[in-house]
Amino acid sequence: MSRLRIAAILLAAAALGSCKLELTPDGMAKAYRGIKEARKDLTPENEYYVGRAVATNILARGNYKYRDAQGFQSGKLEGMTAYVNAVGSVIANASLSVVHEDDREAPLAGWHFVVLEDKTINAFAAPGGYVFVTSGAIEKAGSEDELAAILAHEVAHVRRGHALGSIKKSRFSGVFKEMLDSSVQLDAAALGKLTEVFDGAMDDMTDSLLVKGYSRDTEFEADKVGLEIMIKAGYDPKAFVTYLNKLKATQATGSGGFSATHPKATDRIAKLEAQVKKAPAITVPPARVARFKAVVLGVE
Amino acid sequence: MKSRISVVLMVVLVASLALAAPKAKSVVTVRVLSAKVMANPKFIGAAAGSVSRGQHLTFEEAKGDWYRVTGAYSGWIHKTNLTERQVTLSSKPGGEGAGAASRDEVELAGRGFTPQVEGQYREKNPNLDFTHVDAIEKTTIDPSELEAFMAEGKLGGGQ
Repeated sequence: MSRLRIAAILLAAAALGSCKLELTPDGMAKAYRGIKEARKDLTPENEYYVGRAVATNILARGNYKYRDAQGFQSGKLEGMTAYVNAVGSVIANASLSVVHEDDREAPLAGWHFVVLEDKTINAFAAPGGYVFVTSGAIEKAGSEDELAAILAHEVAHVRRGHALGSIKKSRFSGVFKEMLDSSVQLDAAALGKLTEVFDGAMDDMTDSLLVKGYSRDTEFEADKVGLEIMIKAGYDPKAFVTYLNKLKATQATGSGGFSATHPKATDRIAKLEAQVKKAPAITVPPARVARFKAVVLGVE
Repeated sequence: MKSRISVVLMVVLVASLALAAPKAKSVVTVRVLSAKVMANPKFIGAAAGSVSRGQHLTFEEAKGDWYRVTGAYSGWIHKTNLTERQVTLSSKPGGEGAGAASRDEVELAGRGFTPQVEGQYREKNPNLDFTHVDAIEKTTIDPSELEAFMAEGKLGGGQ
């Protein structure tokens, strides 16, 4: 065993403080497992805390107000927020039947959908199942099925761990998997190091969500998986394309909002066309049309 | 040829073990903060009750992705809400306990990466107001109301 290898083990042991380490060759090998990919290596517990902080940062950085704050306090949602949460729950439950390799586990605190008071068209998903959609994006949708498309795209981002994947690998330099185990007692130095990592990870994720956006391929994947979820839930897959067509017109003149963080709607439509053609045709019942009009447009 | 067959059999065996449900009467633990035990194997309709992270249940049988369990409540729970591993996070940074957790589990709750780090992060960023996310994550959808919503909208694939 090289001196460097022994030094790494001792460093890991010191960082782990009172954590029990197995001093067997296998235990030693485990003692300094680095974080290779946050999207795969972070535990659901880590994701829960990261998600809480990302959601809090989104609200703070955008200085957002959100609908039905009173309902969230009392636990009984009303109006548009209750409606969006009902559609979101249908989508989130269906997403568990759409399984891909390396999907994140179901969020520890469940799924929550928040309507932001903002006329720009946008939606964000923090890790851990906190989904934000602007009132502008909902009003742009002409139907419940189009709203379902927006939410399915965001749920797909969470299931695929896209926000976690935007954390720079260099952030985890000097951090070991064992330090992320919630049963491990950390000393002050290790705790300080992890807080520094957490802080940096927040910058990476909020920048990706609010400013820079994800890569084009990441967005295309969220569209593809989102469409699969919509189909599984029983929503009309054509509504995904209908909504993207509306965005195409807005994107041509718009700046900021989704325009700054998403690929061109025409490219997204082109990627989805074959998938939509293969999907079974859906007849949207009048009740679904009527309730969207009543809740979102205020038309009885 | 023989070795190829052996490899295929081995792959099938490993895959089936990975996907296998727990053994009947084995103990499973709730991994999510809160989950409903349902009267039927679906997310909607009548619920027998709610269980919390760390709570133990007895696995009886599987039906697709749903497990029939007995314990604090008897009924069906989606498999993604359960784990066969030990669960140690039983309270949140605000100090709100999971209720059903044992004393040992509650003692473990103060340790580890996540609650401690969030605590330090909050100290460093006093401008961030976590009360919003605390309230947001408390809300749940009534499964009976969701059943009515889905029936009215003729939804239901994959539920």
